[in-house]
Amino acid sequence: MSDIPVFFLHGLAYGGLLFLVSAGLTLVFGMMNVLNFAHAAMYMLGAYFSYALLQETGQFWLSLMVCPILLFIIGALIERFLLRRVHIFGHVHELLLTFGLAYIITEIVKWVWGNFPLAVNVGGFLNETVEIIGITYPVYRIFIFACAVLVGSIMALILYKTRLGIILRAAVNDSEMVNALGFNVPLVFMGVFAFGAALSGFAGVIAGPLLSTFPGMANEILLDAFVVIVVGGFGSLGGAVAASLIIGELQSFGVLLFPKLSIALVYLLMAVVLIVKPSGLFGEKQ
Amino acid sequence: MKIRKNASYLFIAILFALGAVMPMVLKQYHLNMLTEIIVFALYAVSYNLLLGYAGLLSFGHAMFFGTGAFTVAVSLIHIPGLSMWGAITLAVALTTAVGFVAGGLLLRHKGAYFALLTMAFNALFYAVATKWHTVTGGDDGLSITRPDLALGFTTVGMGDIASFYYFTLVIIGAAIAFCWYFTQTAMGQTVLMMRENEERMKFLGYNTNVSRLILFTFTGAMAGLAGAFYTLHFQFCSQSAISIDMTTTVLLMTFVGGTGTFWGPMLGALVYIILQNYLSDITDRWPLFMGLIFVFMVLFIPGGLTQIIQSIRNLFTGKANTGRPKAAKEVAS
Repeated sequence: MSDIPVFFLHGLAYGGLLFLVSAGLTLVFGMMNVLNFAHAAMYMLGAYFSYALLQETGQFWLSLMVCPILLFIIGALIERFLLRRVHIFGHVHELLLTFGLAYIITEIVKWVWGNFPLAVNVGGFLNETVEIIGITYPVYRIFIFACAVLVGSIMALILYKTRLGIILRAAVNDSEMVNALGFNVPLVFMGVFAFGAALSGFAGVIAGPLLSTFPGMANEILLDAFVVIVVGGFGSLGGAVAASLIIGELQSFGVLLFPKLSIALVYLLMAVVLIVKPSGLFGEKQ
Repeated sequence: MKIRKNASYLFIAILFALGAVMPMVLKQYHLNMLTEIIVFALYAVSYNLLLGYAGLLSFGHAMFFGTGAFTVAVSLIHIPGLSMWGAITLAVALTTAVGFVAGGLLLRHKGAYFALLTMAFNALFYAVATKWHTVTGGDDGLSITRPDLALGFTTVGMGDIASFYYFTLVIIGAAIAFCWYFTQTAMGQTVLMMRENEERMKFLGYNTNVSRLILFTFTGAMAGLAGAFYTLHFQFCSQSAISIDMTTTVLLMTFVGGTGTFWGPMLGALVYIILQNYLSDITDRWPLFMGLIFVFMVLFIPGGLTQIIQSIRNLFTGKANTGRPKAAKEVAS
């Protein structure tokens, strides 16, 4: 089967994308204990902002820089003025808020850009194909995987090699204690939430040209990202890496082997993980 | 306590009486709308038993609603001569089974985990409904005709909206009354106390897992009944009945109406359907407005419309407003 390397590479590309989305989600969840339903909506906003910017300027690299910054600001504002308000009402309200925000963002996107898919063209050398391991393959998918590797490495460096990383990891374990030690935990939360939003927006910019840009894209990736953090373990970055690759490959080969069952395969994996190891592959015991 | 209990049954009786005279007052268009409101009222009440009473935030309630809706449609199409009762019984039996199995798997997790898993489970159901084209009709949906209703001594034609309205009123009304009765039983009270302090309930010897499973299955069956009537009402069932949007709908209804009381979600269903009908005439963007109202309420009025009504009532009776009792409870849980 000569198709196998192609599907393997497809899986890597999608896995890279999934990692970019789920990394922010799992960090926010691990730290703030908030499952952010609006996270994928940020991803969608990233894709649409990039579309709008490309229409204006035609500069893909520019939108790759600008859109995450915009999403960072939006994320910071949401955390500061909305999420922090409902925090005292408890957990259910935080979930309800992010769910409501996702709903509103989707509706706004439908309003502004219409309820149909938009084609995004990146232009430049990213549109070309390249010869690797004996097959011709689009540069763009390799670019996605490279981005994921780059972002993942930077995150790992920050988390495990810097002082900020120590505070972050400590806050995942016990945010109250970190707060008591004199670190500004609310500020850290805001930063992490905004960073997650920016990362998601970054993923959205990249995803736009690969998958189509349409109002349903948020829900599609959200469920896959959820499966990633369940399989990888809540709050675990290493788990997110492994699970993203597994899910990416599973999606890719699922289409090849069992076209009808490809969607169910992902959930099946999740069900198996939940039954065998409920805390996820790399998660700690709850 | 006894007087309050009787007052509630009186309230139910008044609602029934009001409902009974409605076909003489309302035109066909509004009667259709009212039927829809009643169906969604049961759906919202069943959802609130999870969210308000047990404190379980589920994003997968549409899987029961949709299963009920599809069971009726599929069974009426494929089983010739199936009566109305048969189709409804099948729908409730199947959703009960689904609720029991899904509950067994999902209820082992709590809070955000539970919310996420219910959503994923619902997505699985949706995927099946979309892909299993030969049975569910996929994107095209299924059209049915309402069968006549056999009452033993006579048969009532269901083509007329007024007779279907009465049928809905009686069956769904009885189901809602039964939900109220359920909250008053020892079982229902156990669930309420579990939300407040599960550790203590366990300590007192209650098997909280079993109680939660029974509740989950029960709400599933009720949502399935609502779904069955949804198909019968529209004489059509598509994958939208089992989609995440249907969960969003019930969540909005329940929360806007108020999760703190039993009656709030019914009010929410009423307001939602009316707004939907009239706002959609004015603007195509009505879901955006519903979303904005929802987020506004999450931020500022966590008790929903019932909280507003309560404050107005307190204003007139001169009682001091005791702040946000609902919010205080949430913090404790």
